Amino acid sequence: MTQKRLLTRVFLSFTLFGCFYISNTLALAPADEIPTDAARISEGQAIFDSNCKTCHRVHDKLVGPALKEVYNVAPSIDWIVNFVHNSSKVIASGDPYAVALYDEYNKTQMTHFPSISRDQILSILGYIKQETEKGPAVAAVVSTGGGDANASGDAGVPAIYIDAILIGLIIVLVLILVVLVLITTILRKYLNQRDDLDDADREIVNPTFSFDLLVKSKPFIFIVTFLFVAIAFKVVINNLYAVGVQKNYAPKQPIAFSHKIHAGTYEIDCNYCHTGVNKSKNANIPSPNICMNCHGSIKTESPEIQKIYAAIENDKPIEWIRVHNLPDLAYFNHSQHVVVGGIECQTCHGPIEEMDVVKQASLLTMGWCIDCHRQTDVNTKDNGYYDNLVELHKEESKSALKVEDIGGLECSKCHY
Amino acid sequence: MIKIFKIKNIQIGMRIYKNFNYAVIITIGIIAAGCGAGGDNQGLEYAPNMYHSVPYEGLSQITDEGSGEATQFLNNPSDGHGEYYNSNPYNKNRMTMRTPPANTVKRNKYGFLPYRIPKDSIDYASRVLKSPIDSSMTAAAIQDGKILYGKYCDHCHGPKGEGDGLIASPPANDPDGLPVFAGVANLQSDAFKNMTEGHIFHVITWGKGLMGAHGSQVSPEDRWKIAKYVKSIQK
Repeated sequence: MTQKRLLTRVFLSFTLFGCFYISNTLALAPADEIPTDAARISEGQAIFDSNCKTCHRVHDKLVGPALKEVYNVAPSIDWIVNFVHNSSKVIASGDPYAVALYDEYNKTQMTHFPSISRDQILSILGYIKQETEKGPAVAAVVSTGGGDANASGDAGVPAIYIDAILIGLIIVLVLILVVLVLITTILRKYLNQRDDLDDADREIVNPTFSFDLLVKSKPFIFIVTFLFVAIAFKVVINNLYAVGVQKNYAPKQPIAFSHKIHAGTYEIDCNYCHTGVNKSKNANIPSPNICMNCHGSIKTESPEIQKIYAAIENDKPIEWIRVHNLPDLAYFNHSQHVVVGGIECQTCHGPIEEMDVVKQASLLTMGWCIDCHRQTDVNTKDNGYYDNLVELHKEESKSALKVEDIGGLECSKCHY
Repeated sequence: MIKIFKIKNIQIGMRIYKNFNYAVIITIGIIAAGCGAGGDNQGLEYAPNMYHSVPYEGLSQITDEGSGEATQFLNNPSDGHGEYYNSNPYNKNRMTMRTPPANTVKRNKYGFLPYRIPKDSIDYASRVLKSPIDSSMTAAAIQDGKILYGKYCDHCHGPKGEGDGLIASPPANDPDGLPVFAGVANLQSDAFKNMTEGHIFHVITWGKGLMGAHGSQVSPEDRWKIAKYVKSIQK
């Protein structure tokens, strides 16, 4: 009886102490303020997505620290609120935790969000808490190879069936050949047994075929010589026409810059780097400061990017190899074609956004220029300069105003 | 023995002679096949002294002093280097381009003077700077601004300024992954809703945080147009 009582007392005291302890820690930790109801968490998520997500993730360090357990790690909820409202003020006040953070993240200033209220910040913390407890998302194993087996199914007939059909056809052909050979042997045997054949007929039945004779026969030599000379002639002529034409020239550049990644995958506009194309004769090659707009923080460890840093540090230009070169005797102006003519870069430079190494895609010969000037309609839309010309042209011709009609074939337009 | 050897030699000689015609054709073919360009091979230039600019030209610079020596027999090599050499020995790195002299000002049709508010005075710039675009030109400026925004801003800040351009978004094949370039400002977010056009102009010129300075790429008038457009999409 006394034992039982003692046990109950001990149990009770433990429970009481436990309750007291838990409530005490709750009072110390700010966690009780953080909302747990779904409505506020989803509100927090919305605010997080539109304001915080560009620099912060819950489980990953991005521009700023990972925010998991920030409610436990940071000095207090009030500290978090102050930091969000005006981070520079907190740092300037000499708060040791804030200063340490500021130094750890290369003195990157967090944007001030004075418009987010304390309650909203608590909602965000609610969302962060929920995500923290969920744990990092397990990277979904996306099997890239899985799609291949069915991929050929899209084309209608799977490749394996086509192979089977081809093999079947070949077997049939071989069988036909065997049957034919059998028939000729049987026929020959039968004919040889007959006695009423003269010599000429026997010659036909048992032909004497000689490879030597064939090779030395005049028609054979003629055909072979003709084919050889014709092919050689064609190769020589083709290559003579290639003299002075640098189409397909694709030199290896000092830095392995890929247009496929920049202009293709990330769809950065050509003008972003080739800024001169709208204003000048040349489309200019970007100087390293334009690279640094992004590569100050992207792929900084790559040896190719390190070459840009080296160029900046040593104040030495990057010596790109010129791909497209018009002879000095021909004048060409980019802005005239791009701004006034409204021509896409790809019209002359080919599918640049698919090229890892830039290749000259066009002939850049005079005939190539002239062809385009004969075929292209002048971009007269919304351009008052052409109004009068279009009127005059209409009186004389029914076709649209082409570049050749406004002097696009005059020698002195390009050669002077 | 000697006699036989000699005869053999003559026979080989005859055979080479017989095949000489073919050899000529094949050699011409091989040489001609080298004319076309491809890869690192620039191909054979016809009349190369018409291709290489003798005066200094932007975007081309030949630093090799021996380049084009072969054509020198036509004219008098008084300058002591090959004809195609066109580097300026007096400039740094023998470049043909030069930076403008100090304390000079680029002229433009609007009479803009260089922007002189330093990078760290962003609050001052936001307060003081006023857009030169008046209300009569606003519609046209927004139209131009949209095109310029597409050229210079879209790939990071996204079509609506939500900081979701292709560079700032997770990779297409991994929606949960991290973007290549994190920390692009969401211009629609509360922190940027109330920024002035002067603020936008200042940030385009000098950059801010992770954003680089775009002053060398975007002219002042274009910056004002972009600022107008950004304000128009924030509404």
